[in-house]
Amino acid sequence: MTTTTVAARQPPRRSLGGLPRMIALRLLTIPLVLWALATLVFVALRLLPGSPATSLAGGGSTDQSAAQLTANAAEISANLGLDKSLPQQYLIYLRDLVTGDFGSSYFGGNDVLGLIGNALPATIELTVAAMLIAVVLGGVTGLWAALRKDTWVDTTTRAAATVTFSLPWFALGVLGIVVFGVWLGWLPVIGRVPNQLSYQPLTNFVLVDAMLQDRPELIWPWIQHLILPASTLALSTAGFITRIVRASVLEVLGDDFVRTAQMKGLDENQVVRRHVLRNASLPIITVLGLQFGTLLGGSTVTETVFSYPGVGVLLVDAVLQRDYPVVQGAALAIALLFTLVNAAVDILYLVLDPRLGES
Amino acid sequence: MSETVLSIRDLKVEFDVPSGRLPAVNGVSLDLRAGELLALVGESGSGKSALTMGLTGLNRGPRTHISGTADYRGTDLVAASRKQLQTIRGADIAVVFQDALAALNPVQRVGKQVAEMIRQHQKISRADALTKAQTLLGDVGIPNPQQSARAYPHQLSGGMRQRVMIAIALANDPGVLIADEPTTALDVTIQAQVLALLKRMQAEHGSAIVLITHDLGVVAEVADRIAVMYAGRIVEVGTRDEVLNSPQHPYTIGLLNSMPRIDGPRPRRLAAIKGSPLSGVKRPDGCAFAARCEFVHDACAERPELAQRTAEPDHLDACFLPAEAKSAALRAGAA
Ligand SMILES: Nc1ncnc2c1ncn2[C@@H]1O[C@H](COP(=O)(O)OP(=O)(O)O)[C@@H](O)[C@H]1O
Ligand SMILES: [Mg+2]
Repeated sequence: MTTTTVAARQPPRRSLGGLPRMIALRLLTIPLVLWALATLVFVALRLLPGSPATSLAGGGSTDQSAAQLTANAAEISANLGLDKSLPQQYLIYLRDLVTGDFGSSYFGGNDVLGLIGNALPATIELTVAAMLIAVVLGGVTGLWAALRKDTWVDTTTRAAATVTFSLPWFALGVLGIVVFGVWLGWLPVIGRVPNQLSYQPLTNFVLVDAMLQDRPELIWPWIQHLILPASTLALSTAGFITRIVRASVLEVLGDDFVRTAQMKGLDENQVVRRHVLRNASLPIITVLGLQFGTLLGGSTVTETVFSYPGVGVLLVDAVLQRDYPVVQGAALAIALLFTLVNAAVDILYLVLDPRLGES
Repeated sequence: MSETVLSIRDLKVEFDVPSGRLPAVNGVSLDLRAGELLALVGESGSGKSALTMGLTGLNRGPRTHISGTADYRGTDLVAASRKQLQTIRGADIAVVFQDALAALNPVQRVGKQVAEMIRQHQKISRADALTKAQTLLGDVGIPNPQQSARAYPHQLSGGMRQRVMIAIALANDPGVLIADEPTTALDVTIQAQVLALLKRMQAEHGSAIVLITHDLGVVAEVADRIAVMYAGRIVEVGTRDEVLNSPQHPYTIGLLNSMPRIDGPRPRRLAAIKGSPLSGVKRPDGCAFAARCEFVHDACAERPELAQRTAEPDHLDACFLPAEAKSAALRAGAA
């Protein structure tokens, strides 16, 4: 058995022991991150000037005296449990969270989970659409620029990427509305699905519902409504992805195994497809995960500009009203989404790179 | 004398560098004979890699200027289009690189990397190519080839990785195999194994091998012929015995003297060649080695061409000095 001693040096199969363990460890960090975020939101809200009680107390009639207002506010505070000490409020808040009780809106009493269930799918649709656009646009231009390094293609692409990269979403959104919505009249600029289609949400993902309810006529208007906000949101991320893709591809192109691939007689396309892309995608994927967070942040602005009924709009309105349960719920929903995406990215990375995931 | 597979004439490979145009290969003429193992020896920086990468076009680029001719079975590799080179690379000329870990794709199983080389040049199904790849991996001495084919490069030892590189390079029985310092990154016992493997593969696949090394000791056992390169030029070429036993060029003599010997008398000191190799863009009109040569004389201001200067028709060197003076020096160095 002389061969086995030599073979012992080389584990021929990927030892799977390490991989599931690392994935499990990665998943374990999610609750920790969420708890930290919940705490942060809780503290930040209480640091904001103004309280929900005063905005509620002033909400009804206009001719209350200052004393009445204060009295009302105190009573409302007590009802909402806001007269308790901050640590007490914090503990109650955490206890409710753990039991899945997100509370209800101070204004109108809507269940927070219900509100989020309506708004979050819209935001996910918007962000995913934006991500797709950004990845395709940024990926193609970044790859092209890298393969044509130092030519006019490269220079132009990089300049364009830098410009989009620094454009504010708000300005882009308004520009899009004016040009494509108002001047050209090509695209709808408001909302998600036209009212006259009487969309009856089930999952609140239009694409899923269109299939479940067998209503294909929903899809095209839905896409039309997505194009402007998603493109607006995608543009700056696309510019960023262009730069990352270009840099990663250039780095991999300088690696020795690319020369090996050329030595084998592969043409440029084969070298890129079979050897460069997968290796270059490793650093890109990490960046995409982080960019997803940027897109979620940007969706707040974009949703507001396009009156798009997502979590961003929900959050902004709730902050303005100091609607604590809604703010906390919406912020956590966004955080959960972001954390899940990043965990997925890290796990994907472990799976894609055989050098990782081994002890 | 056997057939010539590769005939290089006045090959130059120059790189644009900030200080000007660097003549990494400065007019090389050399014939490679079918099935032989030619060792290309020279200090680091002498242009060995630039020469062989120039032949395969792997260092082509906007800053590289390649001229001269390199005739591979009727095709001039220097003038060949990119398309032509792609059909030649891997099928007719293959390369084993120094650092196998870097030269293999880190995220692809090694069996697939061998199979890719096969499928690039042969009409064969994916499954058959993989089976053939496993056979090749077994041939180059990799244990459990079926399983090892599923390994990623980082899971193999350095020696095993270099064997994978060799399996890739030999997959299509190329007429020419270039091995660019294939053992430099390996430890001594593994070095010997890999060299023995190359020697065996030379016979089994009938490929001519250009074995690049900066270490003359490495080639003594395996080389059929030896070419010594200095500052972008061949300064001496001959059979192994001719070059090792009656070296003609002072640079070769210096290399031999600086070799630790296990068999013959030990040198008093490792007589390293004094001075450092030429590396800049400026080259002297005369002999490039003159500045470091202990035999330098007036004639050296003119460039000595590589020519037959001894009784042996295959033994060429580029030094004006009479043979007697040099053999005296060789004896002195070995004393
Ligand atoms: N792509 C390149 N650009 C510029 N200079 C280079 C390049 N490749 C090699 N050189 C230079 O050419 C000379 C010969 O290099 P090389 O052929 O790698 O030497 P060797 O393989 O004999 O060690 C060195 O001075 C090296 O710096
Ligand atoms: Mg070299």
